[in-house]
Amino acid sequence: MDTPLAELKNLILRIADVEDIKKAVGKALSSEVGSDEVFNSLGEALEEVGKKYERGEYFLSELMMVGLLATEIVEMVKPHQDRSTKTLGKVIIGTVKGDIHDIGKNIVIMMLQAARFEVIDLGIDIPAERFVEAVENEDAAVLGMSALLVSTVDEMKNVMEELEKKGLRDKVRVVVGGRPVTKEFAEDIGADGYAEDAIEAVKVVKGLVKE
Amino acid sequence: MDSRERVIRALESEEPDRVPITEIDLEVPVMEKINGEIFPVATSLQTQVVADRKLEEKKNKFKIECYKRVGFDLLVVDLSAPETWKPSIKPDGTMIDLWGRTLRLDKQAKAWVPYGTIFSTPEDLDDFEFPDPEAPGWMFSTEYSRSLVKDSLGLATFIRDPFAHAWEMLTPMKFVPWMYRERKFIDSLMKKLTEFNIEIITRISEMGADFIISGGDYCEEMGPMAPTRFFKESIFPNLRKQVEAAHKNHLKLIKHTDGNLNPILDDLANIVDGIHSLDPTARMDIGDVKLKYGNKLLLIGNVSVDSLAKKSRIEVVEETKECIKQASPGGGHILSSSNSWAGGAKLENCLAMVETGKRYGTYPLMHMR
Repeated sequence: MDTPLAELKNLILRIADVEDIKKAVGKALSSEVGSDEVFNSLGEALEEVGKKYERGEYFLSELMMVGLLATEIVEMVKPHQDRSTKTLGKVIIGTVKGDIHDIGKNIVIMMLQAARFEVIDLGIDIPAERFVEAVENEDAAVLGMSALLVSTVDEMKNVMEELEKKGLRDKVRVVVGGRPVTKEFAEDIGADGYAEDAIEAVKVVKGLVKE
Repeated sequence: MDSRERVIRALESEEPDRVPITEIDLEVPVMEKINGEIFPVATSLQTQVVADRKLEEKKNKFKIECYKRVGFDLLVVDLSAPETWKPSIKPDGTMIDLWGRTLRLDKQAKAWVPYGTIFSTPEDLDDFEFPDPEAPGWMFSTEYSRSLVKDSLGLATFIRDPFAHAWEMLTPMKFVPWMYRERKFIDSLMKKLTEFNIEIITRISEMGADFIISGGDYCEEMGPMAPTRFFKESIFPNLRKQVEAAHKNHLKLIKHTDGNLNPILDDLANIVDGIHSLDPTARMDIGDVKLKYGNKLLLIGNVSVDSLAKKSRIEVVEETKECIKQASPGGGHILSSSNSWAGGAKLENCLAMVETGKRYGTYPLMHMR
């Protein structure tokens, strides 16, 4: 018989009915599994889903649905969290100006929330000034920028320049991602991190926050 | 040979005098550069936003002027808004379209950009007044454009695929969970959108369009957006009904989709009459598709939009020549980019693609040997 955590993980991977998942979360918590272990198990499930997606075994809608389940599980677990458990930090995220694609960004948001980050979602088609304004006003650890079009990716450079101009560059760590974004581009524009996919984005953000 | 005949020959898998060339759309700033003239109104690539018929006429004329300057052979037009529709602009300047999508204005791109939806629950659609396909006005652009171009250009009307339309109408963040938790509702919405399209298809055929392009993506870079089982159960049966309606009205239906279609290509090829995009950066090899389905499918594509944005002119010329070599033999090919000409594309590269098509696309394709 599966342990409560293993059962929960299997239900997530099967994109089971939300009522079954609620029961499994309840079972895990009442079997003296701490909220931290539930979050860890959730993280493992998300990582596995990410790998299956990369291999073509899971489709985009499944990746999105698992991300959504993850945020729902986070809400289920929150009332049971130890008082000492805080969020790991605040992340501002948006899609750059001229780009209206947001599915990838939204998956990253769901996974960051599942990993206990607080996320400020600026939305799509965001000009440099709005990113900078958010960095100024929010006490965020990380700024994440997403682009799906080759023609919009240079907007990330504009944001970096604006942050420098306003003296805010050192206030926040910057992570970039999206289909046309490469590690080399990220280095060229002076970003602190680059993520090829949503799973890696969470790892990179966690790493930057720890530094 | 005039452009219309060129397009029709390609559609019939015959070799015209040369490979026809087109783009399914050009963003307004690109058209402005080509025409050397400012266009006064913001438009949308995804939905109807212009209610004023004089502006709609101006929009169509502007696009036709652009297409003629470039030397395209096929004009692609959208459905117009029905006559009685007026844009619903909220105090914050955002717009609600006919389909319940919320749009905001990108002034630089002169485009209304969809970002949300008015629907919070499936029950919200019970009170929603679904657009009436029999309302007068949907065909305005098709009819008006055909009256202007006559036989000088081929003409295709762009409709929205029911899966993609529902995905956009509800936004992906609602469509996806409802796909899993309210499957009957999603199937019912796609059925309603299919019925809308079937009625519209009949009207398109009456207005002189040469074929239909069904837009909206099925796939993204990694593959299909939904499980293949969902395609077989819910998407393809609706698509088949639309294709049957098109055939009944002596029209062909070409499916546009970005992304990696390979996991669903066999099924898709057995339903539609052609495919647009065939994005090479999404693992789509137009040569492979030509080999397998060239006797059945019209292929429209596939010079990469990434190349148009980032590569050198020489690289674009070579890529275009290779595209022609792979896809044009025997006809059944219309040269285009792998999506559309967006503001970020280098105009020099876009025009080089067209120039190369005209230079190297003459049948028989001697230069390609």
